[in-house]
Amino acid sequence: MTEKMVMVVSEGSFDKAMMPLIMGTTAASMGMEVHVFYTFFGLKLLKKGVRPKLKGIMRPFTGMMERKMKRLKVPGFEEMMAQAKDLGVNFHACSTSMTLMGISERDLREGVKVLGASAFLNIAADAKVNLFIG
Amino acid sequence: MDKDATLDAKGLMCPMPIVQLAKKMKDLRPGQVLELLADDVGSEDDVPAWTNRTGNELLAMDEDGGVFRFYIRKK
Repeated sequence: MTEKMVMVVSEGSFDKAMMPLIMGTTAASMGMEVHVFYTFFGLKLLKKGVRPKLKGIMRPFTGMMERKMKRLKVPGFEEMMAQAKDLGVNFHACSTSMTLMGISERDLREGVKVLGASAFLNIAADAKVNLFIG
Repeated sequence: MDKDATLDAKGLMCPMPIVQLAKKMKDLRPGQVLELLADDVGSEDDVPAWTNRTGNELLAMDEDGGVFRFYIRKK
């Protein structure tokens, strides 16, 4: 049976945006089935056209970080999202968070599935790797 | 060593060498050998971890001036 990895993302800052994509693309490349569940402030990362910012006082330096990554050939958020999708990483949006954050299904990227906690736990129950990113 | 294809991942950082390796291996037929070049320091452990998980065979690896060279046989 294919091994499974699940991640829960509850924050929407730059580092929290990148980490599940780095881990997710790697796990998918290793042949694992990957599921990422976005909840609370993490949910905005699934909105179309979002550009994640560095956290707190570092926020104004987001552009500097993006340029540095480009110079070092480290793929950015959009590129990693595309890679993840290409590799079959599954993106899930928490249904309750959508209501709380005022985000509707049409605000979300193509391919995102809206799930409740029970449906997610059903996926997570037999996953060997579980990461919480928040 | 005989090889059927080469993937030059020099200049790419984790996780891209592994992501590109996985994609490239899909183009090969079972038994064919891929030569992978990478200079991300993580590759030294990442590539053996990848072959270990995926069941592909790491035939040989060496390092020269910070560039790692791997020979991987597709299962």
